[in-house]
Amino acid sequence: MKLLIINSLDPHTRSVAPVHRYVAAGKALGHEVAIFGEPNPELPSLPYTTDVRGIDLALFVVEVAWDFPDMPQLAWLLDRIPRERRLVVDLWARYGETVRIDHDFNHLEKLDGHQGWEWLEALQAVSDTILQPTLTPARPEVRPFLFQAFDPKAVARPYASAREAAAAWRGAGPNEKPYGMIYVGNNWQRWGQLRSFLSHYGPVRDRIGPACLVGWDWDRRPDWAVDGGIVGVDLDASLLAQLGVETRRPVRFDEVVDLLGQARFAPVVHRPLFRRLGFVTNRTFETFCADTLPVLMLPRDLVEAVYGPAALALVPGEDLAAHLTDALIRPEPYWEAVLRTRSHLARHHSFERRLRELSAILAETTRRSA
Amino acid sequence: MKILFVMELRPNAGNTHALVNTMRVADRLGHTIALFGEPRADLPGVRLSTDVRAFDRVVYLFESRIFRVKRLSEVSILATIPRAHRFVLDADAKYHPIEVVDGYDRNYSSEAERSEWLCFYDALSDRILKPSLLPSTDERVTTLPFFGYDPLLVVPPNEAPPKRYDVLYVGHNWWRWKELADEILPGLEKIRDQVGEIGFTGLWWDGPPEDCASFPELEPAFRVDHETFRRLRIHTEPAVPYTEVIRTMSTGRINLFLQRPFLRHVGHLTLRYFEEFCADTIPLLMLDTELAVAVYGPAARELTLAGRVADKILDALQRPAYYHEIVEEVRHHLLTHHPYEKRVEELISVLRG
Repeated sequence: MKLLIINSLDPHTRSVAPVHRYVAAGKALGHEVAIFGEPNPELPSLPYTTDVRGIDLALFVVEVAWDFPDMPQLAWLLDRIPRERRLVVDLWARYGETVRIDHDFNHLEKLDGHQGWEWLEALQAVSDTILQPTLTPARPEVRPFLFQAFDPKAVARPYASAREAAAAWRGAGPNEKPYGMIYVGNNWQRWGQLRSFLSHYGPVRDRIGPACLVGWDWDRRPDWAVDGGIVGVDLDASLLAQLGVETRRPVRFDEVVDLLGQARFAPVVHRPLFRRLGFVTNRTFETFCADTLPVLMLPRDLVEAVYGPAALALVPGEDLAAHLTDALIRPEPYWEAVLRTRSHLARHHSFERRLRELSAILAETTRRSA
Repeated sequence: MKILFVMELRPNAGNTHALVNTMRVADRLGHTIALFGEPRADLPGVRLSTDVRAFDRVVYLFESRIFRVKRLSEVSILATIPRAHRFVLDADAKYHPIEVVDGYDRNYSSEAERSEWLCFYDALSDRILKPSLLPSTDERVTTLPFFGYDPLLVVPPNEAPPKRYDVLYVGHNWWRWKELADEILPGLEKIRDQVGEIGFTGLWWDGPPEDCASFPELEPAFRVDHETFRRLRIHTEPAVPYTEVIRTMSTGRINLFLQRPFLRHVGHLTLRYFEEFCADTIPLLMLDTELAVAVYGPAARELTLAGRVADKILDALQRPAYYHEIVEEVRHHLLTHHPYEKRVEELISVLRG
């Protein structure tokens, strides 16, 4: 399959990591995977092209409006690739009614200039097939396709057993694991959940280690958000100071797994909109590549459905501090859950599997159009 | 046929009024024309739509800059209307080699700028429409006068507003300066004491737009000699919306018609060619006689100004009845040869292919 991915890749955010893994997995399976556009010197290992001849599948990976290329490339793409060979994977729930959950949303004109109907019409115009990264799409015409996936080859330390993993984890000194917890991700619609996590983390911080937030805008609310009255880029600087939380600027996508491994625990949180819609993200899977204990701050039904039943052990109950303390005292069962989950993810959510799913969807859409 | 025009929506400049006319006449002929956009209170009479799927042709009308809609709208339009049904109406003659006319008016400042435009045109469509009477040898180009005359817009003398000016120019200060400096203003200077009020209504007569400094190549486009305007006691007034253009022209006994030199050079028509003859006024034309006759018929020889500005203005002021008869003759010619119905039919025919 000759697969063309259309997305505005940024080394620090959104889908840059999974796209790299699609390229590698595709190559391993004998597919040809390329990214539409001119080569990006910041992402030298990605094969870019503007030659759309012979493309079997154009996958529009949509998060923001500029994931659609600018002119004239936009016209080249849409004119030269037949509609039945185009799929849209809608990673940010743009295709749907406008939804507000707390202050999270899927459309906000004052942020990007586009209203909900514009998203709907644009995505419908591009393809008959809209995919969303959820097992339970809200609209009947949307097909579930998680897009995000797990790459077992990216696991930083592939332990043979939980005992080995627990011993290594417990024995890691402050040079290896300077943090008790780390969250790597930008300050966008996450603060409510992270504030709760950090508040519960406070009492056990001295025992487990310092906390760290890595990403854009964890040091202060940015001017564009203040000026535009945009909530969702929130923080409480005094709380962060009181808890001794370190904030760091974002890192490149290829540094994330190692960085997560510098902490004993790494929470996995989904923004409120994604929690409501059951959307997964890159970090849903990538956290399991890191040498850390994921703390799944997610609904239990989603955890079981995506990660498998073993992962339920990684979901803290009401008492987060107790969960973390217990893992600190007896890490082996938790690492057992991690290893089982990795195994589950490798079986059910690999990039190879995603590519097979895409091939099947493409075959169906071309058959239907024929 | 349902045609969607994508263009910059400006109430006091550009081709909005032409599209309102086309829309109205198309309705009478059973076609639907709309401009892409959401309803706007400052664009009365304009049908606006964002429902791309309701249209089967799209025409990108480009003026002096590459007009872009929002990215998702661009996606909707391009993904919905196939290339064979997309057209570019090249109103400002950008699909043309770089050329400098009268030593200062140019369609591009550089080859790089031209390449950017051509790349855009190439991406959008294989078909370029040019609002001209002259045929083109370029197989990609279809000439289509596009602008026309609608007698329903004529302001009868008994409904005309009071005459405030003896001589009026309604239009923007956009590549007009040399013609004014070389012919019009010296002509007016000779007869200034024999003429009543003189007015210039439009954008940029009192100064260039604020962002002009960022585009030094456009300095000549906005040039104006304020001292001469002051000496000739020329009143400047702000631009009026398209709904008021013909009535505003009707406040002048004489209206000057000046076309941007580059567009005149390439033989492009504009709506103003026809609006002039809807107003209750005597249009005097800064056009070559050959072109004036081609558009307006032989009677227009009497209305050309080139080389005789002072004499012609004085004569028109002194013998208005004579000139109004000529205007009527021209109107008759326009009704026969350039009615909007014909323009709409030509447009439909071209878009049908």
